[in-house]
Amino acid sequence: MMLPGLLTSLILIPTVGAFALLVLRGDDHKFIKGLALGVSLFEFGFSLLLLRKMDFSAAGYQLEENFHWIASPPIRYHLGVDGLSVFLVILTTFLTAISVIASWNNVHERIKEFFVTLLLLEVGIVGVFLSLDLFLFFLFWEVMLIPMAFLIGIWGHGRKIYAAVKFVLYTMAGSILMLVGIIWLYNVTGSFDLPQIQQALQANPGLLGSTVEITHRNEGLLFLAFFIAFAIKVPLFPMHTWLPDAHVEAPTAGSVILAGVLLKMGTYGMMRFCLPLFPHASKVAAPYVAVFAIIGIIYGALVALVQPNLKKLVAYSSVSHLGFVVLGIFTFGVIGMQGAIYQMLAHGISTGALFLLVGMLYDRRHTFEISEYGGLATPMPKLSAFFLFVALSSLGLPILNGFVGEYLILLGTYSVSWKWATWAALGVILSACYLLWSYQRVFFGEVTQEKNKSLPDASARERGILFAMAVVTLWMGVGSAYLTHRTANATDTIRQQMVRPGDVAPQEASKPADNSGVKISLERSGTR
Amino acid sequence: MQTPILDLLWIIPALPLLGAAINGLFGKGLPNKIVNTVALGATGLSFLAALEAVREFIYIRNQEFFRKEFFDWIVAGSFRAGFDLQMDQLTVVMVLVVTGVGFLIHIYSTGYMAHEGGYYRFFSYLNLFMFFMLILVLGANYVVLFVGWEGVGLASYLLIGFYFLRKSASDAGKKAFIVNRIGDFGFMLGMFLLFRTFHTLDFHELFAKAEPWAREGWGVFGTLTVASLLLFMGACGKSAQLPLYVWLPDAMEGPTPVSALIHAATMVTAGVYVVARSSILFTHSETAMVVVAIVGCATAFFAATIGLVQTDIKRVLAYSTVSQLGYMFLGCGVGAFGAGIFHLMTHAFFKALLFLAAGSVIHAMGGEQDMRHMGGLSKKIKVTYWTMLTATLAIAGFPPLAGFFSKDQILGAAYQIPGGHPLYVVGLLTALLTSFYMFRLIFLTFHGKQRYDEHHVHVHESPGNMLGPLVVLAVLSVIGGWMAAPSFWSGPDHFANFLAPVFSSAHETEGALSEAAAHQLELILAGVAVAAALIGFFTAFWLYLRQSGKPEQIAKSLKGVYTTLYNKYYVDEVYGAVIVKPLLALSTNVLWKVVDVQMIDGTVNGIADGATATGDVTRRTQSGNTRSYAVWVVVGALTVLIIIFWPAIKALAGGAQ
Amino acid sequence: MNPGMPNLTDLKIVLPELVWCGFGVFIMVLQPFLKNRHFFTFLGLVGAMGGAIFSIVSAWNYGPGFSGLILSDGFSFFFHLLLGTVAFLVVLASESYLEVENLDSPEFLALVLFATAGMGVLASAQELLTAFIGLEMSSISSYILAGYRRDALKSNESALKYFLLGSFATAFFLFGIALFYGATGTTKFTAADFAHSQVGFLKLGLAMILIGLGFKVAVAPFQVWTPDVYEGAPTPVTALFSAGPKAAAFALLLRIFATVPAATHYWFWAFWVLAALTMFLGNLGALVQTNVKRMLAYSSISHAGYILVGFAAVTSMAAEKPSAAVSAYAAILFYLLGYALVKVGAFTIVSQLGGAAEKRISLDDYAGLGQRQPWVAAALSVFLLSLLGLPVTAGFFGKFYVFAAAIHSNLIWLVVLAAVNSTIGVYYYLRLIVIMYMHEPKPEAAVAPVRFPLTARIVLLVAVAGTIYFGVAPTRVLNFLNQPTLIGSLK
Repeated sequence: MMLPGLLTSLILIPTVGAFALLVLRGDDHKFIKGLALGVSLFEFGFSLLLLRKMDFSAAGYQLEENFHWIASPPIRYHLGVDGLSVFLVILTTFLTAISVIASWNNVHERIKEFFVTLLLLEVGIVGVFLSLDLFLFFLFWEVMLIPMAFLIGIWGHGRKIYAAVKFVLYTMAGSILMLVGIIWLYNVTGSFDLPQIQQALQANPGLLGSTVEITHRNEGLLFLAFFIAFAIKVPLFPMHTWLPDAHVEAPTAGSVILAGVLLKMGTYGMMRFCLPLFPHASKVAAPYVAVFAIIGIIYGALVALVQPNLKKLVAYSSVSHLGFVVLGIFTFGVIGMQGAIYQMLAHGISTGALFLLVGMLYDRRHTFEISEYGGLATPMPKLSAFFLFVALSSLGLPILNGFVGEYLILLGTYSVSWKWATWAALGVILSACYLLWSYQRVFFGEVTQEKNKSLPDASARERGILFAMAVVTLWMGVGSAYLTHRTANATDTIRQQMVRPGDVAPQEASKPADNSGVKISLERSGTR
Repeated sequence: MQTPILDLLWIIPALPLLGAAINGLFGKGLPNKIVNTVALGATGLSFLAALEAVREFIYIRNQEFFRKEFFDWIVAGSFRAGFDLQMDQLTVVMVLVVTGVGFLIHIYSTGYMAHEGGYYRFFSYLNLFMFFMLILVLGANYVVLFVGWEGVGLASYLLIGFYFLRKSASDAGKKAFIVNRIGDFGFMLGMFLLFRTFHTLDFHELFAKAEPWAREGWGVFGTLTVASLLLFMGACGKSAQLPLYVWLPDAMEGPTPVSALIHAATMVTAGVYVVARSSILFTHSETAMVVVAIVGCATAFFAATIGLVQTDIKRVLAYSTVSQLGYMFLGCGVGAFGAGIFHLMTHAFFKALLFLAAGSVIHAMGGEQDMRHMGGLSKKIKVTYWTMLTATLAIAGFPPLAGFFSKDQILGAAYQIPGGHPLYVVGLLTALLTSFYMFRLIFLTFHGKQRYDEHHVHVHESPGNMLGPLVVLAVLSVIGGWMAAPSFWSGPDHFANFLAPVFSSAHETEGALSEAAAHQLELILAGVAVAAALIGFFTAFWLYLRQSGKPEQIAKSLKGVYTTLYNKYYVDEVYGAVIVKPLLALSTNVLWKVVDVQMIDGTVNGIADGATATGDVTRRTQSGNTRSYAVWVVVGALTVLIIIFWPAIKALAGGAQ
Repeated sequence: MNPGMPNLTDLKIVLPELVWCGFGVFIMVLQPFLKNRHFFTFLGLVGAMGGAIFSIVSAWNYGPGFSGLILSDGFSFFFHLLLGTVAFLVVLASESYLEVENLDSPEFLALVLFATAGMGVLASAQELLTAFIGLEMSSISSYILAGYRRDALKSNESALKYFLLGSFATAFFLFGIALFYGATGTTKFTAADFAHSQVGFLKLGLAMILIGLGFKVAVAPFQVWTPDVYEGAPTPVTALFSAGPKAAAFALLLRIFATVPAATHYWFWAFWVLAALTMFLGNLGALVQTNVKRMLAYSSISHAGYILVGFAAVTSMAAEKPSAAVSAYAAILFYLLGYALVKVGAFTIVSQLGGAAEKRISLDDYAGLGQRQPWVAAALSVFLLSLLGLPVTAGFFGKFYVFAAAIHSNLIWLVVLAAVNSTIGVYYYLRLIVIMYMHEPKPEAAVAPVRFPLTARIVLLVAVAGTIYFGVAPTRVLNFLNQPTLIGSLK
């Protein structure tokens, strides 16, 4: 019996942890939290190993694990990472650890079950990012629903059940069609293995139909089957209405994971499946997708602007930010897609942090209504400082993480269509509006409500996690090249995979541009 | 050649950042003394570093363009935005102004803010501003510049909202940031367009590529025109030009040193800097130049008119700033980039001085800002009075003070370009107004009988650490312009010559006339300008010292005009009514309440309800009555048979027809 | 050799049926002398399992028996195992139930065994009259079982309805046989020479047979009886109904439409329409139920629909080349397997929680079960998720293979309909889970946890284990089901 590989371990650790929690003593809460924290931290540390083990200069999947699972149909247990997925995995493990700490004191009932659910959720998400077998992918994709629904439905507040059911139904509606698409692909290519399907389709697009027309029609249908599932997850306007409900009712940890990584599963899916497998359909769809993305950007921002409920505001801001990501992906250009990948990660951190902060306010006052707050900067200067920091990163201030993604995406978009870029850039103005306005209403001014006068400032624990988030935010903003260098190959691969016989290969490679031009101009002296 | 500091150019911005970090993170616990040491130390050292860097640039590299890449910041595909800094003549001017004036204002602040809460916060912000401003002027490509560009916006947001308990303050801060964002919107698009065209955003490379481009005549909206205009949109936001100037007057909510540093001397001039920096782009587009000139000129005049009637001492200065910035753009717009930057520098001196002096006055009056409750202060606070008077003379353009030379160059350039006479006239008129409202300010504040209550306010001169900077700046506002002086006895204009390399291609718009004629003309124009300034002075003198009470009469007789001016042409109100309110209403009542809740969710829930309803129907068919069930079975049987025998049935039907 | 006398092979082939009937009779005989429930239950268990085990014997000698009336092949082997297991579980589950309701166990057990034997015959019949006998054996026992709670009005109603409509359907079936005979001159649907037969009558006959069996498997629009009968019948019996007879009837249907070359592709359309209709009626009906038993009844209708999707696939492929349809058969069989396990498990839980006289079977009674009885709730959730078709459950794979088969024969749109239905299904299955875990129990509903007797626990254990096992490692079963000679008579 060989030891489980690195990727398998990433899936096993939380699973084992969850079962350990399940069977071990449920009375001792300290112990439970401790164990959960230990597991999640260990998982995080373990996921960091990926960075050392991976060779980012090489293209394609790495650390693959590929075993037979089911003979017929040939379903394989096939895992692998590349530059696209690795950081999403790390983001997941990081945010899970964070949310374990964040839930230290604000979960009061069924504590054991809570952390079990959280860990199982991690299993599902990590699995989604690691699976290279469509069946396996779908399996994790579906399995992940239940823990999330439970997080919302059991430990949420308000209309939690409505929100939970809405979440599951929305996702299921999309994903079952995706299942149909997956089976169809299997029927065409005789495999569930992503790389194999990729090769098959790329070598011979005719697989999908006898004539070109049929090929294109079928490709279109398949594209839709996948895309709708992903678009719902993202969520892309107008399929976003599950998000505000889910967010508002979810517990802090739930919101953090939801906004931080769950939404990225959609954009990840688009990059991993829609584009490489169905390039023609993607290109045909791009203009429409872009329009919806842009509508989402502006629409989300405008609706966020007028939310009286702080958490809903952040939720709608996610709709806006994810619109950028989708837009970037569907430029098919290196810059746009690199920006999209980066923005996924950046949004995961900054919005995750926003939800943490909102949750901290909720722990103190048990309301999300902005009107209930006001002048909080006086009683809680530290918290307000962190909040401002995160808000700034979220509105895309340079040298914080929000900027790089948006900038690259817009830059990439502009070279495709200046109209799209111009419309999308409006989002940059609006994000400043809703964030600063809400910040002012919550933190500035005199303390209006008596009970807000004596609110405690951020505790050591809270400062700890906020500080961690802040550091990452800053690091991502300054050292963005670290990430983009490592995601470059993945982007190239995707663009290569989009090439079909007869097309011209994508010209621009996403290696860092050699600035020899600059060197030359340096020799020319400044005094002309 | 050894250029230690140039090679570590990042040290200049890094020092203030360090100061900001220290004060920001640990300042709460520290005594003011240490906070001072940190803040002043950081700025002072960075000033010294700047001096050294400039020395190395001029004497060791003898003014050869310097550029250094420190690390890759954003890299994606063919796009690279490195953290690159550069040093050229333009940078020299800016970096010295920023660090120098900045340092003085830091000193001043130690006195001015001594009794304020959040002392450490203030200095941490102030240092942060220095950091970003230096990044802005040192950056070697548009993206790094944009870092500073946004960063100073942030710093100004924080500092305007420094008294965040006052709603007006936090409103002003928010307004400043958002209006700037509107400008940045254009700025970003400009960058994108430039990158799409030239595949680089590095100044040196980009301009090298742009230079050979064909010039775009009037009305031609080619790439460079559009790009320039987009960049200029950003500049309008940052430098408070029409129509985006509205944030600056409100920004006076911030502490006075902030107004002096950010909203007079440095940040607001960033727009001018960008236009000057991009001179090669602008000079390639006649349209862009004309737009810049007109906007600048219009703003100058427009703001000056508002300044005439304001009663809040700081607001007068604020509008005066807007007006002066207009001058700078006018200069750039008529191709006299050198003159624009020259005025930028001199303005930095005397306007900073004006604000600091005003601060000193307010300080003396115990927080009073309304000039109607001042008067006759000249005796009580002599130093403040004399320094402020110097600054006023400078801004009004009396020779041989700094303002005279710079303003004169701009007007001269405006006069000389073809079709520039209207611009010149308006500019001249503005000069007159400027001198008028500035002396109005002086007279109302320092002369006449005192209009405040001795018992409540006991006027006192400010401490030394506030007066020191005033004196230094006063000296600068006197001699600041002398670099250009020789040109009056047909000597060289040292300043212009120094900057010439940066704007090489910009001067082609000038020099239409022969040397002698040009010189001749220059003297005449100077004379006219001085005359205008004198008129302004005397009018003010006559109205506010001789005929006190006259202004009220005029105000009454011209009620409409007066109130319009007093309420700043109601621009804010218009924006509110035309943009803000409708947008909010739309978002709330249409997008959210209708589209989201009713349309989308309505559809979703509608489907669910529909399913349930159908389910109810099916349930009702379950009558529980066996006979009806039997009927069902029969019906079903028929269905099956029909399906199976469909072809036969079709055939029969066909036969029937 | 005298064709009248059955030889040893024949007996070996029907050994499972013999065992079942034998134990049934044995129990009946013993009844007057023994009063010990547990002993009878023990006998019942032994009988049920015995039958299943001895089906191996019949599997040893594949081939026709009774001069081709029945056939022992992988197909029948599979069904015998399945039916035996179902019977075994039902007996286990019923033990405590009968005690609580205090009904005599012997007859009950005997009837269950007889019914099982009948189903066994159905699964291996090669000849329509034999099939008819099997059908009647199972049906008549079922009628009685449905009304086994004599004093309960609902139970009687259930029995009566089942009987009336059942015989109505049986009439169709018989009529179909007659027509078939008329058309082909034989009732052996394997031996029939279709080339020289009046296609019209043949089609008519097959249609009638389809209707008759459609009733048994609760295909819309012949499903009307299902909710009432399922609700009224004693819950363990409901478990049996939803698993056993359905499986058996589907088995026969499958045999017929696998071997009889489907006259025209309109068969396929018939199945297409019936599938769609069944899925929708089942799911939409279930959507609005407030009674768990009824809800599960509707759900089993909808699942019949999913299985019919498989049939549509079969017929569309069998039309040109029967052997091409093997994967489709496999899909259907696997589906039945997973489905049977889940249903037995679910109904067991319902019957246990129902308590005396099945009072607690409304959805609200399940509120707070998650805290009250975590393990039971977990088990039920597993079943529901399997019905809902979530991965790592047998239900998911079943659905998956059926979809795969359907897509393989280009029934994209039918599959899309099925997908839509699954989404509807999600809603009501999820609702029960939500109620169990997220709703606070109503004060009056907040009862002490119901103690599950060992027997019930075993049932749940088996069912859960099976559901998960077939969901994670279906390979072996599939290899078995995918062998082309699965249906011996297949050309």
